[in-house]
Amino acid sequence: MGDTMNTLHDFMLRTEGLTYILIVAALCGFVFFWRFLSERDDDRDYLGADRPEGHHH
Amino acid sequence: MPVPKIAIQKPALTPFNVVAGIIVVVGLIITVIRFTQGLGATTNLSDYNPWGIWIGFDLLVGVALAAGGYVTSAACYIFGLKRFHSAVRPAILTGFLGYALVVLALHYDVGRPWRLPYPFIVQSGTTSLLFEVAACVALYLSVLFIEFTPAALEWLGLKRARSIVVKLTLVLTIFGVVLSTLHQSSLGALFLIAPSKLHPLWYSPYLALYFFVSSIVAGLSMVIFEGSLAHKHFHNKMDAEHLREADGVALSFAKAASWVLAGYFIIKVIGIAQTNAWSHLGSGYGLWFLVEMVGFVMLPCYFYAIGAREKNLTIIRRTAAWTVLGIVVNRFNVGLVAFNYHLPSSERYFPHWMEIGISVFVVTIGILAYKFIVTHMPILYAHPDYDAH
Repeated sequence: MGDTMNTLHDFMLRTEGLTYILIVAALCGFVFFWRFLSERDDDRDYLGADRPEGHHH
Repeated sequence: MPVPKIAIQKPALTPFNVVAGIIVVVGLIITVIRFTQGLGATTNLSDYNPWGIWIGFDLLVGVALAAGGYVTSAACYIFGLKRFHSAVRPAILTGFLGYALVVLALHYDVGRPWRLPYPFIVQSGTTSLLFEVAACVALYLSVLFIEFTPAALEWLGLKRARSIVVKLTLVLTIFGVVLSTLHQSSLGALFLIAPSKLHPLWYSPYLALYFFVSSIVAGLSMVIFEGSLAHKHFHNKMDAEHLREADGVALSFAKAASWVLAGYFIIKVIGIAQTNAWSHLGSGYGLWFLVEMVGFVMLPCYFYAIGAREKNLTIIRRTAAWTVLGIVVNRFNVGLVAFNYHLPSSERYFPHWMEIGISVFVVTIGILAYKFIVTHMPILYAHPDYDAH
């Protein structure tokens, strides 16, 4: 049966392999998620602009 | 004919004051019982369950929700995002009160509270995670107190002392971030010593990372949540700068919280993959784990993103409250629900009503202190006699 793990090698192969796949998928997913979050951020005065220079010392 | 001045006083017996007064009186009575008759008379703690809600809620949740102080001050002073400046003082105040109440609650929880300074003066035990937590919490409470003092000194009119403390702002912020990183993660790492007691879905070698990352979410959400409450109840105390910046703070913090929650979700899934705990997802605990992950991580992540995208402050504020609740659920799960999961139900812990009473008492003390400070000191407005720092 494919789910059987008899050795530490089986366990590591399964868990590490899946982890690497998840990490790659997550990194790709984050790109789209960032675009989803930021694509309407053109209103710099409201969201992104900092205070004018000299406002703080 | 002189016109007599009429002092307009608010009625003392408001519903809030009555409820708070009852809670404080009951809390004081329980306090007397706790310190005269001991833990046995007031708690359901046992050798199996030495940590109850005074640790699971008052300490673990309290420390996480007080993270807004280091998150906001780091954003403003270290990353230079000065548009969050108006949010720093309220966040520092919430952090300071949070940590002060954590230490207060700890006095109820430990058997001999007068020995709390022992790690520093009698037996250091420097290899213990608890020592690190104790040291960091003690130091960070001191840092938060100093960071908070400019507001109190402005209120007292002590200009010279205030100018000295303000010069320490950057150093204190860096110190605060370092200390917070250390002890927020160490609180999770405490559970690494009990891999057989914590359910596999919550136990992970990455527990320290989970606690730290979720504390950032907790801090961001608390700033939004507390800001919305302040906006509602202390609107008259807020100056133009606070009112102008409040919406931008909420939108930016929502975006950041959404991003961090997405990362948190991924590292939680990776944790399950690493321990190969997938099979537990089909159990009752697995269902509850999915409720936490989907209901209190994925949903807030999505709604924060929608709120930030659509610039919808209502969604953001409701999501912040929901996320704060999610942090409570997470800390309860790790500290209480999933802990000792293998014990029969007769041996499981359920808090004594007096434990709940003290927790409610501690939170009420915090709300009253916050109300007093915000009403009297320049927290939500800049004092006209001083420059911003």
